[in-house]
Amino acid sequence: MAIVNRAEGRAYLTPLVGFLLFFLGFPAAVNLVYSISTVSFETLRSPSLTGFGNYAAVLADREFWGAVSFSMRFGVLTALAECLIGLFLAVFLTPLLARRSYLMAPLMLPLMVAPAMIGLMYRLVLHEFAGPVPYYLFEWFGDSPAFLDVDNAFRTLLVVEILQWTPFAFLLFYMAYAAIPLEVREAASLDGASALKALWWIELPLMLPTLVIAFFIRFIDGFRVFDNVYALTGSGAGGSTTSLSIYIYQAFFKGGAIGKAVAASVVLFLASLAVLYGLNWITGRGRR
Amino acid sequence: MLNLLRWLVFSIAVLAMNFPVIVTVITSLKSARELSFNPGFWIGEPTLENYMRVLGETDRFNIYSYLFNSTVASLIGTGLAIALAFPAAYAIARSEAGKRTLLPLIINLRAVPLIIFAIPLYMMYQWLGLLDTQLGLGLILTIVNTPLALVILVNAISDVPAELDEAAKMDGASSRQVMLIIIRPVVRPALVTTFIFGFITAWNEFLFGLMLTTSRAVPMTVGASFFFAASGGGVQWGTASAVMVLGALPPALLGLLMYRQISASLTAGAVKG
Repeated sequence: MAIVNRAEGRAYLTPLVGFLLFFLGFPAAVNLVYSISTVSFETLRSPSLTGFGNYAAVLADREFWGAVSFSMRFGVLTALAECLIGLFLAVFLTPLLARRSYLMAPLMLPLMVAPAMIGLMYRLVLHEFAGPVPYYLFEWFGDSPAFLDVDNAFRTLLVVEILQWTPFAFLLFYMAYAAIPLEVREAASLDGASALKALWWIELPLMLPTLVIAFFIRFIDGFRVFDNVYALTGSGAGGSTTSLSIYIYQAFFKGGAIGKAVAASVVLFLASLAVLYGLNWITGRGRR
Repeated sequence: MLNLLRWLVFSIAVLAMNFPVIVTVITSLKSARELSFNPGFWIGEPTLENYMRVLGETDRFNIYSYLFNSTVASLIGTGLAIALAFPAAYAIARSEAGKRTLLPLIINLRAVPLIIFAIPLYMMYQWLGLLDTQLGLGLILTIVNTPLALVILVNAISDVPAELDEAAKMDGASSRQVMLIIIRPVVRPALVTTFIFGFITAWNEFLFGLMLTTSRAVPMTVGASFFFAASGGGVQWGTASAVMVLGALPPALLGLLMYRQISASLTAGAVKG
């Protein structure tokens, strides 16, 4: 006897599916129509289909490719750094944290603060008169770089993102590291493997699925970054910090270029599908 | 010796990762006069005047309304997400319905940048009159929260032995009764975690608050940035810091109280998802 029969199952799923169709399915359809239309704020309800001009405009836009490049570099570099630092912290600090789980709380605090708030806080931290970082750099070295100008903004934002989200990678690795069965470790040390060898040949391979997943999650989040970048620099610094999300936002709200913004959205959607497909393929292969 | 090194690394990591929060708290406790000559870590004369001003002078920027808007929108966004996800999770865990396509589809939704839906949603909200309303923001936050809520609840219900349901059905309970009277209390911890986690996520959301609200329904994350809009004489750093501390406090307190449950569900959501 099935606990939930077919009709009941459908009834339980319907509210969720209906809600998502209304709030995501409908907008997705609108996206597709508008992306091949000529549309402005005046003609929202009667877009005229004109083909792929919007896509051509987006793909010919240097700013678009600049944004793609920013998002790509930002996503890869932050994910890589977060995973490496997080892995180091998880392995190195486990003996300390295993018996004192309350120490996890301060390590997790950055995850509880809104990225937009963190961005605003760094405006203070890095401000040339009110911020402690430039103050102490001047005090000690007599000079302080302009953290948010064209040359440095990208690196500054990398550090901001990495410092906030390393705890996420750390947390996943800490859990995965703790989940390695004791017998595995004992067997390794009985066989005379040094701690370092056991880590490299036994523990890391066991953690590999978590490593891959953490990298992809952080890459996706870094790629679509908006909040902290927008709060800290806007698209300022000479447009050198325009992520793809900020590009779409600007095109729509500042430029009123609806067709272009929508076409860029569809491109971003296809790109994220490709990444997801890759991720599912990799983890699916790992499971088999 | 090695242990000492571990403590050192731990301290550096905590200080570095919480650095902006620490600086903001310090700044919020300094008077405007002190800030003009002392941007360092030392507080000469600690004062609460910034907090007094933020909580007392509300004629231009009303922090109470931002806090209230964030609370209402986050409660809608979390409560509705659970109300929608719980029956769906029960159906997925206890039958074949939705397991093959719907669950993976919704899980993958977490990885789709929601900004791609933002522009049609903005227009849709304009037609529906939902722009600049707490309900409108809450509905979007529901979408943000749904995927993780579904994953956590499916995992939690799957961990409950199905014999429990079968026994109740033998006694003549309908599946609806089983779900609400038997299963709901059993997975209460997961429901609480989902709620806390969802509330924090919703409170910290920024993009949709920025786009869909302008004055009446502005949430805290967006409201905080108003204090940075230089208004003649530049930013009042002490005031702005007090605003950020107050605005970041609710999710931070929730998170610190519940960090164990949250870390468990974060990992479950990432790895099992």
